[in-house]
Amino acid sequence: MVNSLLHVFRNNAFGRETFMQSLYFCKTLDFTLRVYIPRHSKFLMYFENEVTQVDLDQSYLSDPETAQEHVEALAKKAGVSVDFLTPKDFTASTLPDVPIGFDCMCCPRSMSDKTSRIGLGYVGPKVRRIAVAAPFPVLVTSLCYKPWNSVAVFFGGSANAFKALSMGLSLSRRSGMPLDLFTIEEGDVNRETLDNLLQAREMTSVVEEGVREWHFLSKSKLEDNLYEIPPDALTVIGAYGHGMIREALFGSKLEVIQSQIINNMMIVGPKCRVF
Amino acid sequence: MTPKNIAGMAKRLFFLRHEKVALLLAGVLVGCCSGVAAAGLSFAIEHLSELCAHAKHYWWVFVLPGVGAALSSLFLNKIVREGAGHGVPEIIYAVSRRGGLLRFRSSFSRLVSSCLTIGSGGSAGPEAPVVMSGSAIGSNIAQRLGFPSRHRITLVGCGAAAAIASIFNAPIAGIVFTLEVVLGEWTAVNVIPIGVASVAGTQVGRLLMGNSIRFSHAHFSPGTWDIAAAFGLALATALVSVALSRMIRSSGKMWGKLPASKMSRAFVGGACVGLVGLFFPQVLGEGYNQIYSLIHGQYSPGLVLLCAILGLKMLVTATTLGSGGSGGIFAPGLVVGSFTGVAYFRLLSLMVDVGHLAPEGCYALLGMAGIMGGMLQAPLTGLFLVVDITSGYEVILPLIVVSLVSSSVCRYFESDSFYLKDLKAEGGLIRPGTDERVLEDLQVSEVLEHNLIPLNNHMTLADLVAQVKSSHRNHFPVLDVKTNEFLGMIDLAKVRPYLFNRELYGTVLVVDIMDHFPPAVSPDERLTDVLELMDRIQAFSLPVISGKRFLGMVSKGTLLDHYRRELIVQTTY
Repeated sequence: MVNSLLHVFRNNAFGRETFMQSLYFCKTLDFTLRVYIPRHSKFLMYFENEVTQVDLDQSYLSDPETAQEHVEALAKKAGVSVDFLTPKDFTASTLPDVPIGFDCMCCPRSMSDKTSRIGLGYVGPKVRRIAVAAPFPVLVTSLCYKPWNSVAVFFGGSANAFKALSMGLSLSRRSGMPLDLFTIEEGDVNRETLDNLLQAREMTSVVEEGVREWHFLSKSKLEDNLYEIPPDALTVIGAYGHGMIREALFGSKLEVIQSQIINNMMIVGPKCRVF
Repeated sequence: MTPKNIAGMAKRLFFLRHEKVALLLAGVLVGCCSGVAAAGLSFAIEHLSELCAHAKHYWWVFVLPGVGAALSSLFLNKIVREGAGHGVPEIIYAVSRRGGLLRFRSSFSRLVSSCLTIGSGGSAGPEAPVVMSGSAIGSNIAQRLGFPSRHRITLVGCGAAAAIASIFNAPIAGIVFTLEVVLGEWTAVNVIPIGVASVAGTQVGRLLMGNSIRFSHAHFSPGTWDIAAAFGLALATALVSVALSRMIRSSGKMWGKLPASKMSRAFVGGACVGLVGLFFPQVLGEGYNQIYSLIHGQYSPGLVLLCAILGLKMLVTATTLGSGGSGGIFAPGLVVGSFTGVAYFRLLSLMVDVGHLAPEGCYALLGMAGIMGGMLQAPLTGLFLVVDITSGYEVILPLIVVSLVSSSVCRYFESDSFYLKDLKAEGGLIRPGTDERVLEDLQVSEVLEHNLIPLNNHMTLADLVAQVKSSHRNHFPVLDVKTNEFLGMIDLAKVRPYLFNRELYGTVLVVDIMDHFPPAVSPDERLTDVLELMDRIQAFSLPVISGKRFLGMVSKGTLLDHYRRELIVQTTY
């Protein structure tokens, strides 16, 4: 089975960094790369039970004549074959429907905001909505091209964390890179309860075989624990498994993590399937 | 039958009943929300129109429709970034291709934009925007409640029906419009919740806006001669319908070519409408007052002026909608229809004695049905809309004639209705009960066959023969040994002569006998297109290629297996 990654190309220096990250991802995991060069400032993605409109800033539409050329040059250099995606369906004449039959989608930190805002470290609302609704994970890239040499999974025992763990195991297996687990100890989340949960799901042996090291981080502030994450790891995190109210009250760990570390990050949403 | 089976059946029946109850309750909720939206829009347009009327003595009043249209465009394109057209085609597209998924922003965006356009004097109707809003409300409620796509489509229909029902105080027209135009199918599953939603929407509208027939009129008693005259009117309305549809479409294309921003175009278009309105204020806004005068026989201008106003109304409607104003064609269609009916009657009176015919107000009603039936190519919608909004059941016989004949004649000139023409041309329309509809829910990835044995470019014929022995497939993809890229395809039917020539086994490479450029499909291809390609080139299977990577094969057999399963799913409920 050949998997594919969707990349929405932005024809500027920042877009090049993101694209190189996608190329690296595809080369490492033997994915095919589908590139969408936008011709309109917005597009729709129809998921199973939700439609998401992605509003792009003008930088995505800059210099369309050279966009394909740039993509091909970078892809050739990386030795990755590229397939350009041309939307066939349009909800309105300037509103193309981008298909969703991919196994992963690459998004910069915020697809909606202007390039200058991307460094603020905020998973934009559209990226969040895609991650919530999509059957694929979202690869949120680091600000500049940064190859990864290991996989780091945040594992807290929730249903989505298990999905992230499975994804991490798959990524590790396919890339041949080591996998480390990171658990932030709080409340009931400790080694014993997680071992029990793994046993209940019959994953103990898989984890023992596939995980290089399981780190338990116990500092009271979440941010303080993140120093332990290897800077060259692809971090995998299950996200958006809880409701908006809970998130509004207690905040989102994902937002904190991604604003504190600049690693490439894979967000595994509640409807995501593991490749 | 075992007790387990009985229990299973009971559980299933219970679930089905509950699902239907849930759908009905959701239909009521959607109907009420759509009713509120319709009432809100109606109030807002009324108040904005009153506000703009205060400025009618100033010379600059003509720019008001321009300002309204520009603000409408600004709101739609820059603030809510809707990026879509007049609404109804988008709903039909969502129903037909996207399982009824509509964006949340659509539930309010058109209300605001059409209020600005129509309230400031633009010639458009509030119905399409409120239908868009109601449908989006239905879709989003269905999404939040987790209804499957078939129920989501029904709830989109509930929103559309309730919107029409509420804004016109016309429950039957709401139901008929939804089934005939939006959904394109009449099933018991759809009719019940849509009917309930229509009742809810109408009642909410009556509570908020009062229970009055929009165009109440004197009693008409059309006779045999009126039925005969209705045929002529049907022809006239058909021609006017075709002209109006084409004018709106051409206007959109013409304004679209202007090298200016959408907002500037809307402003200029609105200002042009305002200029016409300085001399002919009758053509501005919804125009319901004109309909009222025409039905009551109180419209004094003579035939020539009447025809001029009719032409101008068509022109300003095309300008308003084409230049980027927001609104629908129902209200202008009704106004144009009533003008056409009265003009026809007056023309007839010049040629024959009309003493034994019904009054001209009756022909205004007939004209409305003719235009609606013609433009929408939905005769029942035109018919019931006019019956509902005029309470004119006594004119039902000529109404049927006008509506049916106008619709049929229009079909002769325009293969598809105003709403469906562009949609169909772009492949966005798939009606229920068609192959396309069944295949639409399937993706190439779902029917992909992976059980193929890949060969590489270093392999010889002997290697191929060895693989043939262990495979039941007739196709073998050839991949580059280094890059894994797809190079070509071996089709056993084409290479059979080589297989029996043992002398070639060690000397011929698979790349020498493979098909280097086999017809292939991409993973995004529609399955209808895949089947069409298979039929055209008489192939039973095709490789699926993404970039230069081989993903698998898609074959007719597997595709038809999935088709059958999908058909069962779609027709079980």
